[in-house]
Amino acid sequence: MRGLRDTRWDHLLDVLRDRRRGLSLAIATGLVWTVGKISVPLLTREAIDGAIDVGGSALGWALVIVAAGILTGSLTAARRYLAFRESRMVEMILRGRIHDHVLGLHPGYHDTAQTGQLMSRMSSDLNQVQMFVVMLPLTLSHLALIAGVSVVLLITDPLLAVVTLVPLPFINLTARRFSNAIHPAVLAVQSEQAQLSTVVEESVAGVRVVKGFGAERVRMEALTTEADDIREVSMRAARVRARFLPVMELLPSLGLVAVLGLGGLRVLDGSLTIGELVAFNFFVTLLVWPLRSIGMTVAFAQRAAAALERVHEVLDVAPAIADPPAPVDVPAGGGAVSFRSVTFGYSDSLVLDGFDLEIAAGESVAVVGATGSGKSTVARLLLRFYDPTSGSIAIDGVDLRDLRVDDVRRAVGIVFEDTLLFNDTVAANIAFAVPGLDPSADHERIRSAARAAGADEFIERLPEGYGTVLGERGFSLSGGQRQRIAIARAVLSEPRVLVLDDATSAVDPSKEHEIRAAMGAVMRDRTTIVIAHRPGTVAMADRVILIDEGQVAASGTHVELLESNPRYREVLAADSVRLAAGGES
Amino acid sequence: MWGGGAVAPEDRLDGAATRRVIRRAARLGRPFRRTMLGAVGFVALATSATIAGPLLVRHGIDSGIRVGDRAQLGVTIVGYLVAVTVAFVGSRGQYLLVNRAGEGFLRELRLRLFAHIQRQSLGFFDENKAGVLVARMTADIESMSELVQWGLLQFVSAGILLVVALVVLLSLSWQLTLVALLVLPVIVLASIKFQRDSNEAYLGVRERVGENLSSIQENLAGVRVIQASARVPEQRRRFGESNRGLFDAHLHSVRVSTWYFGLVELAGVVATALGLAAGGWLVANGSVSVGTVVAVVLLLASLFEPVQQLSQLYNTVQSAGASLHKMFAILDTEPDVDERSGAIDLPANGDLLVDGVTFAYPSTSTPALRDASLAIADGERIALVGPTGAGKSTLAKLIARLYDPDDGAISLGGRDLRDATMRSLRDRIVVVPQEGFLFNGTIADNLRLARPTADDAELRRALDRIGALQHIESFPEGLDTEVRERGSRLSAGERQLVSLARAALVDPSVLVLDEATSNLDPGTEATVERALERLMEGRTVVVVAHRLSTVQRADRVVVCDGGRIVEVGTWDELAEREGGRFAALVAAWRSDQPVG
Repeated sequence: MRGLRDTRWDHLLDVLRDRRRGLSLAIATGLVWTVGKISVPLLTREAIDGAIDVGGSALGWALVIVAAGILTGSLTAARRYLAFRESRMVEMILRGRIHDHVLGLHPGYHDTAQTGQLMSRMSSDLNQVQMFVVMLPLTLSHLALIAGVSVVLLITDPLLAVVTLVPLPFINLTARRFSNAIHPAVLAVQSEQAQLSTVVEESVAGVRVVKGFGAERVRMEALTTEADDIREVSMRAARVRARFLPVMELLPSLGLVAVLGLGGLRVLDGSLTIGELVAFNFFVTLLVWPLRSIGMTVAFAQRAAAALERVHEVLDVAPAIADPPAPVDVPAGGGAVSFRSVTFGYSDSLVLDGFDLEIAAGESVAVVGATGSGKSTVARLLLRFYDPTSGSIAIDGVDLRDLRVDDVRRAVGIVFEDTLLFNDTVAANIAFAVPGLDPSADHERIRSAARAAGADEFIERLPEGYGTVLGERGFSLSGGQRQRIAIARAVLSEPRVLVLDDATSAVDPSKEHEIRAAMGAVMRDRTTIVIAHRPGTVAMADRVILIDEGQVAASGTHVELLESNPRYREVLAADSVRLAAGGES
Repeated sequence: MWGGGAVAPEDRLDGAATRRVIRRAARLGRPFRRTMLGAVGFVALATSATIAGPLLVRHGIDSGIRVGDRAQLGVTIVGYLVAVTVAFVGSRGQYLLVNRAGEGFLRELRLRLFAHIQRQSLGFFDENKAGVLVARMTADIESMSELVQWGLLQFVSAGILLVVALVVLLSLSWQLTLVALLVLPVIVLASIKFQRDSNEAYLGVRERVGENLSSIQENLAGVRVIQASARVPEQRRRFGESNRGLFDAHLHSVRVSTWYFGLVELAGVVATALGLAAGGWLVANGSVSVGTVVAVVLLLASLFEPVQQLSQLYNTVQSAGASLHKMFAILDTEPDVDERSGAIDLPANGDLLVDGVTFAYPSTSTPALRDASLAIADGERIALVGPTGAGKSTLAKLIARLYDPDDGAISLGGRDLRDATMRSLRDRIVVVPQEGFLFNGTIADNLRLARPTADDAELRRALDRIGALQHIESFPEGLDTEVRERGSRLSAGERQLVSLARAALVDPSVLVLDEATSNLDPGTEATVERALERLMEGRTVVVVAHRLSTVQRADRVVVCDGGRIVEVGTWDELAEREGGRFAALVAAWRSDQPVG
């Protein structure tokens, strides 16, 4: 069905339907506003012809005009407010939809999607849509205004009306052409600005290189090129403005000249009054802005269409990992895990090829393998981040694909290689994996998880203890402290199976023992998979398996493998060439 | 249509600061004075033509239409056409000239600021966050470009229009004007209130937008953790709140402007009504003509627009002033590591002497290095080891004169580094940083960073000297391969190779290395190792070591701890020393056991 007609607008139309009440109100207000706008020049005409020109008092008319002014003023405010409210509302709803959709998409999608791209879908693209939506009710009332004014002018003096109105459509045309010409120029300026920004960012980030080689002059040349480019494209944009904007100012003036010239002759003929002449003058000025804005609306619509197409592309991605139609509950059990002839690869490279692994409930297994051997893939498959190409993975005897996705992820807790802390308090970060847990009410549970992870002591020493805000904009912790928060997070959710993905790799080796102590405590009596590089960590597990060429190449205790398997020794050695005291000072 | 700008309360400049900023901006803009004067001329031209319109209408009515003089009406029409043409020409000219001056000014500002930032020592970069420096050079200047493109022009033309229109109005009929302008105080007061409220509303929106974007970014970056924690619904709910907060901020900002626009509309109509009422009375009195009434009513309309524009521009001008103020503050910072006057070249080689050096980073009080002394013979290879924060990287940076010591001195071949020319210093002593940092551009561009004048043959020789030529030439575009931002198109190992070739191109006598802590891709690891080895041959080398193999290959090992040099000696001497720091490190590595 798709592809036969333009589906880009579907999402927007859907939201607009939801907002039809507010939009109708905005449109209705705009129509009444039109009546007010037209009435003021008409009343002015009456005041001049009926009073001033004949030497009478214009006070009565003045009062009526003030009344019309109050009406028009309030409606100007109201129609603007309603139009913006609806457009911001539409923007908000669409942003929520994109966000919610993307957040639920399978990790395979996020592997290839760029964060920056997705963010501009939710910011600059929706901005384009918003700018178009706000113009919708406004443009409708502008059209009504143009129609109303034309009717009034035609009734007053058809010939003069035609002569006056002739230059005006060109305003619309010029506005549209201007908008289309300025848009690429503005984009060019933005792109040049981005290039300059790259030069600056790199020069600041690479200041040690610049200083170390005395390369200031080379960087200065690069910057000068970019600054010159910006000036050049900005001047190009200025030339576009200089070409169109004066024309847009010129056209209504020509209308005014026509009014004065032809209208003046008509007054001399006696077929037109001075009041009507002034009213004509007012009406011409009145039409300028509506005509310009209609031209802009057309251009905005084109940009909104392009933006909506990009939005559409994101919203159209179907989640590859979803709940089965008839999910079963997780059976009672201690967290036995089995991989049966699992085959899996990213895009075209095969990572696991007939991988078999049985882990008994409560057992801890260390997974060892060279870089790229698929150690972390094992963890990700167990979380059902991906589905295997063939074979099956089960927890306590049930295939993951028969369970609800969230049930799988509650059963499996993971500590990732790089710990991500959210911009929230320590307590909230630990409570992260237990939605519904109130960090202030269940303080004791959070504390005991932190204690098990060996984190309680340093948390208490933070400026505001468990209430300290972490994350990019908050307090920054060391690698080891972050890891212990992550372990506490995993412990608190009480998973059947705990996966520790390289939990010690980001840590200064001299602090490694702190993490190991924490790991030891949480591994006790729990099915645990440890993905590790360092011999000390590997040795903590009941059993070690070596992954090589997509399969379990060896299985046994650390000591056994160390003695019997040369490949095992090789892999471990490659990972520990580092001196026991590294890091930067 | 103004997106506008806003200035945070803490950035608002006081009177004296404002005057200083204006004076300095004027000085910086001196080269563009003529262009600017021309622009103001065009603005004045366009503005007077705009004012002429209603006056011509008055003439047409009073001397033409009402007395039945067709010739005068004709004169009026011709005059009107001339005015329209003048306005058109003036308008074109003002757009071109204002932008030429403005963009020229911004270019000048970019160049000055960047040149000045580059002259600063590393200490400056420690103290000023990278993000802030980049913002000064980008967002802050860009925010002014809006002002340059539109604002300045509108500001000048609104000002001229306002003054001229008032003068003309008063001279037409002061009584009529005064009555009609009874609404002006209301407009002025409303504009002041609007300007304040909209400033605050704009800041509110900006904050919400930032908050919303960072919550999107946080959720996207953390999507795996969020999904693994079965927390998607909760994060959706929270984002909904943030989204709603942004909507509310937008709505508040719309409300602030909405009543103002309504009021301005109303005031315009009221002024017309007042003009008509008073005009009717004055015409009946015979003190003004019908044409004058019409001209006044038409001119009143052109009076309200400039007031509106000025009030909206006020915030933009303020925020530009605040940005300029911050930029001038950077331009006022004198670099603390700079070439001394009368500096002479360093000798080609010689012993490197660190003599009683103490150094603290600018923002800290505890020294990172205390009373460090070390004599390194010409051609000797030294490995610096020690735990995080021991001071080994600091020592390396001081040797390359990225900082100057607070106390003590560092010399090469008997000459204090502070007395040497910067050029000779960078030629004799080269630092190769931990990660191979590349800039956007080709591999050749990146190599030439070290010596802009080198030709392709020299670049090839440098690559060949470290054994990397073959690898680089295996790329389809060889030396001309675009490496993209931060060299993202190359692997970490390849970046490191280019970085080492840079040093080879300089051919220094002293090489300072900060060894990478992270793993390289297995494919290039060996190549990088070999390249490094060949680069070190025949030079004095100081390496901050993380790899055991590197330490083993050094002539002497220097152990740092707590900002002091605690042990110096050969591997054998130190590894055997009973209870020694280095002996403990080696033992810890061998057993992979934690060190206390």
